[in-house]
Amino acid sequence: MDKQRIADQMTCSISRLLEDGQSVFHGVSSHLPMIAMLLAKASHAPNLVHLDIAGGVNPKSGKTDRFSSAGPELYKTADAYFSLSDIFDLSMRGGLDVAFFSGVQFDPSGQVNASVIGDYDHPKVRLPGGAGSAVLIPTAKRVVLWRTKHDKRTFTPSLDFVTARGNTWRFVTPLCVFAFQNGRWELDSIHPTSSLEEVLNNTGFPLVYKEARTTPPPTAKELALLNKIDPGHLRYLEFKD
Amino acid sequence: MENKQMTLEAAAAIVKDGMLLGLGGNTLHRAPMGFVRQLVRVGVKDLRLIKTAGAHEIDLLCLADRVSSVDAGFVSYETQYGLAYHYRKAVEQGRVKANEHACYTVICALRAAASGAPYMPVRGLVVSDLLRVNPNFAVVDDPFGTGPVAVVRSIRPDVAVLHVHRCDTFGNAIIDGPRFEDQLLANAAKQVIVTTETILPAGSPEITPEKVHIPGFLVTAVVHLPGGAKPTSCYGKYSVDDAILRRFTSKDADLMVYMSAYQSADQRGGNFRG
Repeated sequence: MDKQRIADQMTCSISRLLEDGQSVFHGVSSHLPMIAMLLAKASHAPNLVHLDIAGGVNPKSGKTDRFSSAGPELYKTADAYFSLSDIFDLSMRGGLDVAFFSGVQFDPSGQVNASVIGDYDHPKVRLPGGAGSAVLIPTAKRVVLWRTKHDKRTFTPSLDFVTARGNTWRFVTPLCVFAFQNGRWELDSIHPTSSLEEVLNNTGFPLVYKEARTTPPPTAKELALLNKIDPGHLRYLEFKD
Repeated sequence: MENKQMTLEAAAAIVKDGMLLGLGGNTLHRAPMGFVRQLVRVGVKDLRLIKTAGAHEIDLLCLADRVSSVDAGFVSYETQYGLAYHYRKAVEQGRVKANEHACYTVICALRAAASGAPYMPVRGLVVSDLLRVNPNFAVVDDPFGTGPVAVVRSIRPDVAVLHVHRCDTFGNAIIDGPRFEDQLLANAAKQVIVTTETILPAGSPEITPEKVHIPGFLVTAVVHLPGGAKPTSCYGKYSVDDAILRRFTSKDADLMVYMSAYQSADQRGGNFRG
């Protein structure tokens, strides 16, 4: 199934962005990066430090509930308790290496809107809110964004509201990976399931790219690990439409 | 020590119109739902709510039109149940004021309250439009010379409402699993109401400094309310009630149907006196 192939591609692409020994945080509504973190830890980054809202440090299992990426498994199978307050404090003092965030609108300059569509006080759509993004995007060393939608309403020339901006580093979408360079999102690689034309037609701001590289597809080893780590297919949850 | 156990009705009567309520738990985990349903039943109104990341409790109070403002970093169900529809509509229609935070700024506002400080400095926030729209944020010059720094105003809840696993009648409370911001809420609020799965008898060997997370002297009221987090989850006890949440988050959500599903459970628990 195509959506599963794309979700696997996104999960593997995110996993490869993580390095051994880094402290990495994911929040709520974040099953896909959670699985990517577990994949990185099971493959090239065994000493990655996994931090989450449930407060479990280095949970051994991500077979958590479908309704939440802050579920009991993350606590029950962990080494230690490190609360959400502790994680924020860690980032504030410069000790958090990577944080994952999403949002609803993104502009080329790395700004994120997760707050409202329309005017803040009289919104057309009140969105969930940026959660920790307004303080973590500027303070975590690297911010990896992901979004399972890639269209012109998502990647827009300007935002209705700036929830956060800061240390955005990579953006993984169903079509491609953007890298933040020279103060803006540049096309880094295109997934084998997509094309340059598709990326251009679905991005609402002009794209800067040097060469249209292809994202390396998931390896057989990565896919085997994914099926072991995520037998319940939590990484596909955001693709339900 | 004073026996603080009371009925759900008596505890809910502590909450008056316009009060600021700090809510325990996080998203769909250990939200004090039984107590929140009682607030819906008694018709208290214009409540102001504060929580790092809320979902069903805020959505329910918005559907019942009990809310005037929400201070939170995130208000939504997670992936599975989608946006908090009733909260969203209430804000879009101007019935509820959304003071969006960054989760951490809720923590900082509560830390300021817990420590009696007027405000708390926060890093990062200076590059967000939230500074402009949230009246609890400002930028000041660091008197020690590091430049502009964002500050968050102290927010002191009138009442913190927490659902815990075990508690004695004096209010010494034990939480299994993630504690989220519950202990901070207990320190920050003027009064603390605890609903609990189990009442521990006087002299229980569980009441030790190693095990108790919230000391009883901070607590005003204790309500024995088994299942008091339902339909949200309670670590080690129960997961979410999927059918009820599905119905509640669908277009044909019905407040009366939802409330009646919990009427007897809330009453049975809440009436218990030890």
